[in-house]
Amino acid sequence: MARAKIKRGSTSVDMTPMCDVAFLLLTFFILAAQFKPQEAVEVVTPSSVSNKVAPEKDFLNVTISKDNKVYLNMDPKIKADVLDELGKERNMSFSAQDKKNFENADFIAVPFSQLKQFLALTPEQVKSSIRSLPGIPVDSTNNELKAWISAAINARMGEQLNFLIKGDDAVKYPTFKAVIDAFKANDQYKYNLVTNSKQVPEGSELYKKNLMNQRTGKNE
Amino acid sequence: MAEMEVKESGKKGPGVKKSKKHSTRVDLTPMVDLGFLLITFFIFTTTVQQPTAMNLNMPKDTKDPNLDMKVKNSGSLTLMLGKGNVIYYYYGDDPTKMQTTGYKAVRQIILDKKKSTPAADLFIIIKPDKDATYKNAVDILDEMDINDIGKYAMVDPTPDEYGLIQKTEQAGGVK
Repeated sequence: MARAKIKRGSTSVDMTPMCDVAFLLLTFFILAAQFKPQEAVEVVTPSSVSNKVAPEKDFLNVTISKDNKVYLNMDPKIKADVLDELGKERNMSFSAQDKKNFENADFIAVPFSQLKQFLALTPEQVKSSIRSLPGIPVDSTNNELKAWISAAINARMGEQLNFLIKGDDAVKYPTFKAVIDAFKANDQYKYNLVTNSKQVPEGSELYKKNLMNQRTGKNE
Repeated sequence: MAEMEVKESGKKGPGVKKSKKHSTRVDLTPMVDLGFLLITFFIFTTTVQQPTAMNLNMPKDTKDPNLDMKVKNSGSLTLMLGKGNVIYYYYGDDPTKMQTTGYKAVRQIILDKKKSTPAADLFIIIKPDKDATYKNAVDILDEMDINDIGKYAMVDPTPDEYGLIQKTEQAGGVK
């Protein structure tokens, strides 16, 4: 009797489609990834266990660099109003060009006395001279940040504004306190400190609490 | 494909030149491996970099001493943040009995205090001094979150306490 011949299948699989898929996905991810624009003021933020994402709308961001200089930037949407308000409060007049420059500027890094010259700088000039720019004064004698915050609050006319404070690891505590004082002088007591997220340490009280919340959430 | 074959001319047949057909297939397995490796790498590096925000609520400054919060001596723990990532801490209201610790060990101290005190009395006072950094302040506030401490306050150290810290720093040679 003739035995049925078992056909030996080849063990090699055609990898071409898989390769196609892999590289298609790769291209997609690379193109879809949002590249973080290089920030002029480099800040290494501390980490915290908070998992709340930093607000990206209606914000007023105070950045403190590692040499204890204070910079200010804000939501582009509110910029025009803030500058108008500031002009009223400080009796300064801004030309249309100033206003346009202000809307294009990434941040403010000078006292009021130098504001117009600063606004006339191009982004490249700002970038190259960032180290020599004095920052916004926050001393107890001359706290200009206070005026900026007040202008921002009045420009928003009581609408919610998120106050972000982004400080470098190496910032000295007194500078941070001066910033907080500027907010306090405007009766603002809630801030968001920008941090990197880190894992909640296992076994800690918060870890147990989160676990409990998860369990009770599942039972319901 | 990309190779030339020089055939030894072993005459096989009359006038028939048999050219050996090479397979055009290339093994794509390593390329797939590489592709997926890169995908994994990109996914991991992009999602992690999301800045988070930590909430900080400060109390209103008040000049009226009646509105000041009363803290029981038995329930209070004061952490003073000094130069060079050092914490000085004391229980109750006697700063002369202060001890030294670091940012890793402080968690156990807070937990021990939490266990030995009724929850209603527990109050932690954070006093960052002039030489502390912003990172120190954020770390200790984070520690309050981690250890689920409900009541804490951040105030300036008194001149006496600051003097004590400086003396300790000088004695310990902290720069």
